[in-house]
Amino acid sequence: MSAAEPGWFFCTAGRGLEPFLAREVRARLGATEVDCVSGKVFFRAAAGPGKLRQLRSGERLFLLLKKHSPLPVSGNRGKMLHEIKSLVIEDPKYWLDIISVWRKLHGHDGKTDDGSIENALALKRKSEEETNTASKRQKTEQVRAIVSEECQVGAGETCEAPARISRQECWAESRTCSELPSRGSGEDPAANEELGFSFRVSCRCSGAIARILTSQEVGRALGTALVKQCGWRADLRDPDLEIFVHLNDIHSVVGIPLFRLPLANREYIRTAGLRSTVAWAMASLAEIRAGALVLDPMCGLGTILLEAAKEWPEAWYWGADISDSQLEGADGNIRAAGLVDKIELLKVSVTALPLPSESFDSVISDIPFGKKFKTMSDAQLLPDLLQEMERVLRVGGTLVLLLSQELHRRVDGLTRSAGGGPAEAPAQAMDGLTRCAGGDPAEASDSRAAPSVDGNSSSLAQRGGEAILSRHFGSLLPEGVYAVSLGKTDAFIHKYRKVSGTGSSRTGTWSCPSTGTFPGTGSSLALG
Amino acid sequence: MKLLTHNLLSSHVPGLRPGGGFPLRIELGRPSELPPEPSPGYEADEEFLRRLHHVLLEVEVLEGSLQCPDSGRRFPISRGVPNLLLSEDEA
Repeated sequence: MSAAEPGWFFCTAGRGLEPFLAREVRARLGATEVDCVSGKVFFRAAAGPGKLRQLRSGERLFLLLKKHSPLPVSGNRGKMLHEIKSLVIEDPKYWLDIISVWRKLHGHDGKTDDGSIENALALKRKSEEETNTASKRQKTEQVRAIVSEECQVGAGETCEAPARISRQECWAESRTCSELPSRGSGEDPAANEELGFSFRVSCRCSGAIARILTSQEVGRALGTALVKQCGWRADLRDPDLEIFVHLNDIHSVVGIPLFRLPLANREYIRTAGLRSTVAWAMASLAEIRAGALVLDPMCGLGTILLEAAKEWPEAWYWGADISDSQLEGADGNIRAAGLVDKIELLKVSVTALPLPSESFDSVISDIPFGKKFKTMSDAQLLPDLLQEMERVLRVGGTLVLLLSQELHRRVDGLTRSAGGGPAEAPAQAMDGLTRCAGGDPAEASDSRAAPSVDGNSSSLAQRGGEAILSRHFGSLLPEGVYAVSLGKTDAFIHKYRKVSGTGSSRTGTWSCPSTGTFPGTGSSLALG
Repeated sequence: MKLLTHNLLSSHVPGLRPGGGFPLRIELGRPSELPPEPSPGYEADEEFLRRLHHVLLEVEVLEGSLQCPDSGRRFPISRGVPNLLLSEDEA
């Protein structure tokens, strides 16, 4: 791929994943001037669309057009609308430049685009070739992705979800040109390139601005102004160009999405389980090295293993589950992703793993939420799960778990703290503004000033856990807790490292079956 | 199921002798193509290593069973996935 010119981008991220994304853009794209705020990471990088598309912890990627301080809020709606328009609207030349930059980015395999209308039509024709169901699915996924993003953007917004849906409605009323069913402009391509161009404004207002103006009002005003200014055609369903405007208390941002589908949509995952961005983030914490053995003992549809095996293919992966339907789904996913060589499946129970002790380098798992286990509650089973996971992990190995809020509180009482004495797992809340700048998930263990956000967790731990949680896992050293949003609920990623228990002289070598211990023949847990 | 996976699995039928339940006997029609023990200096034997790699990582058991050498309990392999769940009364 030919060297790309540096450009400014921003990428939205689910709440809590901003530090992971910041780290990823630096590592994968060599990004500089990385700036993260709640829900977004801004950066500068010289990377082509192929590389950009590989980002795994972000939601949607945009070309950054403008980033200004928040708009001053006054009661005067007209004045505010005027200011918003002057922020966004530029003369047609500006937009043509932007379009040519955007096209260059999409100018397949580095071929420079001459910006001709043929290319725009070719792009449109290509998208038409997708079947109706495919584009419908994309649309639904886009809406789903956007709606789920909107759920995550801070507190204080009042009109997110309705705005998204009603924006389409409001465009239906105010469209100045009727939508042409055929995509071809039918006009002289050489003259007035703008006329053949269609666009859509997607606007998000939150914070103080949202109290004066709704997202749809702003979107409508901007759309009308753009039509007047540039003579473009509004198209909600399949525009050539989408213009995103985010106005909140932190900044005013204008951008163009680079790809039709969100980054979180993986072409290699057939049936989605856990959100792929969270799964990737968990795998990134596990420190998977070449030749590592990685286990997900409650793999479900295998999302974590798929993300890990795609990113770190020089390792070996095992997934276990007790459900036939889940294993079937996982098998389908593994085949569809072409990862049959990398990921093996087992029908075994995590409470009694028929695997040798200290044989895996990493155990990564999404502990199922809710009443998955019929006989006991999750909290009661948690010690059994932890015991087996700890047992099969080699000394020095990593354990990465995704826990619900309830399990998160309980698990603090089970594991030894880094500082000894009263347990105080470093909980890093994703208060993006302060936490992100320079914050790197890999450095979570040296948490100098990491105040426990969930004030309950320390006090719970000090009480020594609850009556049913009587066992204590001295060999699991907490190395970080990350609050992440799963859309409707919040969850917590916990990372542990297995250290040798008191009195044990085992080193971190791979223990072969003949010397390890098996379940039922005596536990190798170090207690107390 | 790859042979590498088989190397990690053991029977956890309750009441076995310590260290028992391993290795599980693979039951299928094909005889092994490898010698029962690696000859001394096998690390340098390129040909052997190739065959070993092939058998360990490139051969998949799709249908068959794994038998516990001590209890005789059979664990089925179906569509490449071994099932080592014990029933309620066994566990």
